[in-house]
Amino acid sequence: MTMADRVRTYPGTRKPTPHQGHRKRNCLKILERLSAYLDDELSGEICKEIRAHLGDCPNCEIFLNSLRQTIRLCQHRPSPSLSEQDRAALRRQILKAAATV
Amino acid sequence: MYRFAYRLCGEAEAAKDLVQETFLNAYRAYDRFRGDARVSTWLYAIASHACQRMRRKRKGEPERELSLTEFVPTSEGEFALQIPMEGLSPQEALENKELREILDRAIAKLPRKYRMVLVLRDMEGLSAKEVGDILGLSERAIKSRLHRARLFVRKEISGKGVADEFHRDIATVDR
Repeated sequence: MTMADRVRTYPGTRKPTPHQGHRKRNCLKILERLSAYLDDELSGEICKEIRAHLGDCPNCEIFLNSLRQTIRLCQHRPSPSLSEQDRAALRRQILKAAATV
Repeated sequence: MYRFAYRLCGEAEAAKDLVQETFLNAYRAYDRFRGDARVSTWLYAIASHACQRMRRKRKGEPERELSLTEFVPTSEGEFALQIPMEGLSPQEALENKELREILDRAIAKLPRKYRMVLVLRDMEGLSAKEVGDILGLSERAIKSRLHRARLFVRKEISGKGVADEFHRDIATVDR
């Protein structure tokens, strides 16, 4: 079973439409470029090709959305900050170590 | 710097060690800082090198390379994320503790050279060129690593196991 076949059989929210001419390599070619597409780094011509493929291949579009969501989660993931106490302790340690350099 | 170190190391004590190592190395190398990069970029570079050195000291096995073909979905459930995010902003979605943990685990599982790129680019918000300058790699190499890193995290959080875990935890909270 090719990726294109799997893509077609996925029971997504949008019903896959029959389309012709898709081969495994077409979906792989899209997969290779999805980050560049989302980061707006591709030429207008290539973006047009990708949009045409996505319009024809619902599960590549589902895949693209899931990648977009993943990136947005990473971009918005807050990370813990140091407490005032830990910050002061770390500063003391660094200054102490620097004095011996 | 602590935020960056925490994102690279995934835990507080290692992050503190990395911050200390970074500032000491910066102190030692300050005479050689020519001022042609921003101080923050310079510190990121020192921290990244220190992180790689600390890793080599702890364990010497080579890092796994990620290949694009391993991210091609192999079952029907892998195209979409299996966690409910419909209608939620990323911030709202991340208020869920289980989702945060699943995401953190996915990032922590990334081989370090890919994690560094993902953290610098998507989490710290630096440009591909800045990340390239920091890691001494071409923009092309950075974009390639970033894409693989994103696909890795996407795959990790789209797995059926993750979905089961997420919904089980939600059900436990609801009870």
